[in-house]
Amino acid sequence: MKRLFDTGNAAITEAAIFAGCKLFSGYPITPATEIAENMSRRLPQVGGFYVQAEDELAALHICIGGSLGGLKAMTSTSGPGYILFADPYGWALGSEIPVVIVNAQRVGPVSGITGAPGQGEFYLSRYPTHGGNFESIVLAPSSVQEAFQLTVEAFYLAERFRMPITVLADQIVTDGWETLLIPETEAEIQAMGLRVAPRQVNYGPEFYPATDEIDVPPVVLGHNTGAACSDWTPTAEGFDTEEVEWQHKHAYRLIYKVRNNRNVITQYEEFGLEDNPDVIFVAYGSPARVVKSAVQAAREQGLKVGGIRLISIWPFPDEVFHRTAKYLSVELNYDGQLVREVQRAVPKDSDVHFLGRCGELPKVAELVDAARTLINGQALQAIKWEREAW
Amino acid sequence: MDYLAEKFLKAKKIPSTACSGCGLGQVHKKVLMAIDELGLGSADVVWGTGIGCAGRQTFNTWKGDNFAGTHGRVYALATGLRLALQPEQKIVLTVGDGDAFGIGLLHLLHCIRRNVDMTVIVADNFGYQSTGGQYGYTTPSGSITDSSPYGMQDPNWVQDGRDILDILKSAGAGFLARHTSVEGQNAVESIKQAINFKGFSLVHIVYPCVTNFFGKALGSRKPVDAYRWLKERTNPAQDNLEGITFTTGVYHKALDKRQEFSEQMRKFTGNVQKRCQS
Repeated sequence: MKRLFDTGNAAITEAAIFAGCKLFSGYPITPATEIAENMSRRLPQVGGFYVQAEDELAALHICIGGSLGGLKAMTSTSGPGYILFADPYGWALGSEIPVVIVNAQRVGPVSGITGAPGQGEFYLSRYPTHGGNFESIVLAPSSVQEAFQLTVEAFYLAERFRMPITVLADQIVTDGWETLLIPETEAEIQAMGLRVAPRQVNYGPEFYPATDEIDVPPVVLGHNTGAACSDWTPTAEGFDTEEVEWQHKHAYRLIYKVRNNRNVITQYEEFGLEDNPDVIFVAYGSPARVVKSAVQAAREQGLKVGGIRLISIWPFPDEVFHRTAKYLSVELNYDGQLVREVQRAVPKDSDVHFLGRCGELPKVAELVDAARTLINGQALQAIKWEREAW
Repeated sequence: MDYLAEKFLKAKKIPSTACSGCGLGQVHKKVLMAIDELGLGSADVVWGTGIGCAGRQTFNTWKGDNFAGTHGRVYALATGLRLALQPEQKIVLTVGDGDAFGIGLLHLLHCIRRNVDMTVIVADNFGYQSTGGQYGYTTPSGSITDSSPYGMQDPNWVQDGRDILDILKSAGAGFLARHTSVEGQNAVESIKQAINFKGFSLVHIVYPCVTNFFGKALGSRKPVDAYRWLKERTNPAQDNLEGITFTTGVYHKALDKRQEFSEQMRKFTGNVQKRCQS
């Protein structure tokens, strides 16, 4: 086992190399720039290619072009670049081409604060392109080590589901320094539960079956199979069509290959839920680590508090929210994004509350106070201009 | 079905869905003739296209591997693809004038800057015709279109001393040519040179849209009028014709070949690997 002290950006880079990534194309943007820089240093060492693109549209297009030719590919960005991925994301999604996209979230909207953490692309990561009729897969690391694990996993899922996968990180995860363990032996790889899927080739003549099957190899050009893919609705052989029946089949495949295989994707962590706590914190990414400490601190003070940390975000794991309780969604934004999904997923007689911060993490004591307030049946106190509308 | 279509095209996509009288078929036929005369087969060429008339009518017609990218981004897509394909495999992209000289111009320029080995055939029908006939970047000034009802008011890339090919040349394009679809073997010869050129090459081919452009600009939807208009302005001999003309032939062929992108990337990666091992 290689033991390093490094950043999430380094972890993501090493994970991509580990997973067999051979092409990175990106456009510099804080706080994801170091992924690009690290890839420019590391990829040529392993026979891969680093291409600095003219913009984010080109970055993801270069990646999906490489993937279309059989190279595993990754790009990384932050919010202002992620929105520009809308165009190529749709192409990769509709053509069912594997690619990994890292988004190091910062404070928004738009350029916002470049070097501080935010969580403003929760919904954008669900619908990163236009047109609807699809399901997305998004993984959210909360530590440097998990950034490594989930980037490897994103490559694995991209291959099996033949689609773009977003790793939705935040600035604390990508810029933060922590211990990073990189496995070197097969036993270590197995012990860490890392999964790597080799790139395969769809030899046709079928484009993709009109079913929810996964593990159908993606289209790879250059093998003279007569393969074709485009952004138009495809027939069974990949011909473009205006017929609604084919659109139904295409949409069915794009939606249900993900929904019906959620068991391959869904990951979460629960803490303090054994005794049906009064308050359950919900968070993903770096705030989830504060939540974990807060649960422990609250328990020490005799408060029945638990927590759910989402690791896979989309498809949203509704089943995790089966307990009736007072839920408190802790997020790095002021508008509340995750909270809306929690509100939708919880049993009818549950309460859902929101605690937002932006650019900085909430404090453990603050969360413990919030839990106590909710347990006492009081409303969370509004801070200055903030209002708890949940 | 003609010999070339039978040899190279998927039967399902014939006949094309292009409007009756469209000149796009002439453009594609010249590309197929060039491929045939070079002795290339379906395994040798990956064919890409964009959207609009040029994209929709060509996508998945080629018997070999092919793709259609989003509008204007096909050059970036092909840049990534170039790194994955065998160096000897050709990438041919057939795109429209909007794709190349409008929405995709930035990506096209960077593709040229990098000298990515591909041949771009710009099938130019003077504007956005598949969306109903709006003006574009080569629409002759003063033309009536759906978005220039008082006559084209927006300067284009090919008049008043500008030529888009000059810009592409300055960016570093190794091979550039211009033709019209009413031309014959001279156009095929240019396409052959472009495909054989190791590095970025582009052939700009003007063709008539009888349904929209000529219907509005000339006031006639008769193909014979459109073809006559184009033929009268096609100028392979570089005579001093008055008004709108299309000077055709090889526009630029670089004598000193720049290193090709994927070749350079492979060498670079190889050198880094060697340096790290030693």
